[in-house]
Amino acid sequence: MKKRDTGQLVPSAGPTSGAYGCESVITLDDLSIGYDDQPVLSGISLSICRSTFTAILGANGSGKTTLLKTLLGLQPPVAGRILVCAPDEAPIIFGYVPQFAQFDPVYPLTGFDVALMGTYGRVRPGRPVPHRERAFTWECLRAASADAFARKRFNLLSGGQKQCVLIARGLATKPDVLVLDEPTAGVDAVATQALMEFISQIHEKRRLTILLATHDLALVRKHAQQVVWLYHGRIFRGPVAELLTPEGMAEILEIGIA
Amino acid sequence: MDALHQILSPAFLLRNSVYISVLIGLACPLVGVYLVLRRLMFMGVALPQISATGVAFALSLPLWFGFQIRAHGAHSEHALAFVGSTVFSLAAILGLAFLERRGRGLPEGRLSTAYVVSGALGILLLAKNPYAERGWLDLLKGEVITVSNSDLALTAIALAVVLAVLVLFNKELLLVSFDRVMAVTLRKNILFWDALIYILIGLTVSMAVLSVGPLISFGFLLIPALTAHLFARNMLQFMISASIIGGTTGFVGFWLAYQWDWPVGPTHVVLLGLIYAVAWIFHRCLQLSRKELIS
Repeated sequence: MKKRDTGQLVPSAGPTSGAYGCESVITLDDLSIGYDDQPVLSGISLSICRSTFTAILGANGSGKTTLLKTLLGLQPPVAGRILVCAPDEAPIIFGYVPQFAQFDPVYPLTGFDVALMGTYGRVRPGRPVPHRERAFTWECLRAASADAFARKRFNLLSGGQKQCVLIARGLATKPDVLVLDEPTAGVDAVATQALMEFISQIHEKRRLTILLATHDLALVRKHAQQVVWLYHGRIFRGPVAELLTPEGMAEILEIGIA
Repeated sequence: MDALHQILSPAFLLRNSVYISVLIGLACPLVGVYLVLRRLMFMGVALPQISATGVAFALSLPLWFGFQIRAHGAHSEHALAFVGSTVFSLAAILGLAFLERRGRGLPEGRLSTAYVVSGALGILLLAKNPYAERGWLDLLKGEVITVSNSDLALTAIALAVVLAVLVLFNKELLLVSFDRVMAVTLRKNILFWDALIYILIGLTVSMAVLSVGPLISFGFLLIPALTAHLFARNMLQFMISASIIGGTTGFVGFWLAYQWDWPVGPTHVVLLGLIYAVAWIFHRCLQLSRKELIS
């Protein structure tokens, strides 16, 4: 078990139990997140269970991205702590899949070049990427159905193709947790469907812990197991089957508005 | 062709100037690639000018403090100029990068102001300086005439170091430039790698300014990288083709300047501009013909 408190990692006792009796991979303990010591969301206490598909649901500006950035260690929490647990006491590895639109098209990189970056965490600085890591990157591209267009320039690919390459890159990190930040933003309906089916498949086949930030209620309902709903500065969490029922949603919306 | 034979002759009097033009032409675009990729092109304009002001400032120190450079005259003068150029380049790039990271104010405004103020300050500092008459003013105007063997060796060593670091740490430098978030999740020290890029840029600019002046340095930093970017399909192609364009222009520009008795610096820059314009037109024609084929 590792504890991260304002960005620091220190060893701790061992795996903890999540809210549903499962093995917790990430535990947020009375966490406040925000910028420049100004909290956007406070009092976040929840556990993400190993091998679950959890969706972070919320409208634009609800704090989804801030929560993800804090989890990934990109910004320190305003208060509280984050406990992360890797199975072998090694630091937990996040496979981060950002939105494709955030990348500057000025970089002359192929899809393969982008996916290969996922292996950089295992290659020491100053060393070339070994052949086995290149072969593994191709495996990840094949798994993400991105090998057919991986030799093309990344900035010339369609939104859905770029997202497949980015998922392959996330897989190439050999992650404990795959973190996807609105992966279907800007992707057409058909590609969104295919992309989400693929994410569900890798979750089932590899027993991978998935954390997906989205504002698409339909996608969450269809693919996720757990949901963390950020609504009007409040956090609601639970199994999709319970939380996203008409009754559950009506209750949340009433509480949020009140 | 007679001029070409003379330039290629080992006994050519200005051979060091040719070598240094080619060397700067080969090396500057390699760091220029990162200026283009990180969209820091204005920094590529301002930095050589600031570096040149560092040279003028360093050469003004003896005048202000009332001492003269006597021992090994030209070497001491050059060493002083090197320190001034490097300190100003590194201070400027690290300072500007720090402000860029904080994301406050207008970066273009800061760089434009730094460019124009440093340019004016450099001229003012050298206006009343006796060292200006020893060729420094000519150098800052882009005249590459007197290059000693030791200057050439120093420049070659510094640029070889820059090249080695760029090749060795290519993947880390690319990762922190392309996707900082990914770099953080892979536990890369982005502050360290950012600082390394800036130090490489600062060192290259200061060496280039000291060897060929700010005008050529600016030209070689950005224009070959912009030209190569039109056609490059991957990073390796991008860096190699930018370097080849720079190195070839360094030689051809010198040849043309020698043949027609033109000033070397402006010849290099105009030639680079022409190559960029022709490449851009060719690229545009290619794009249009591809579109026609598809339709």
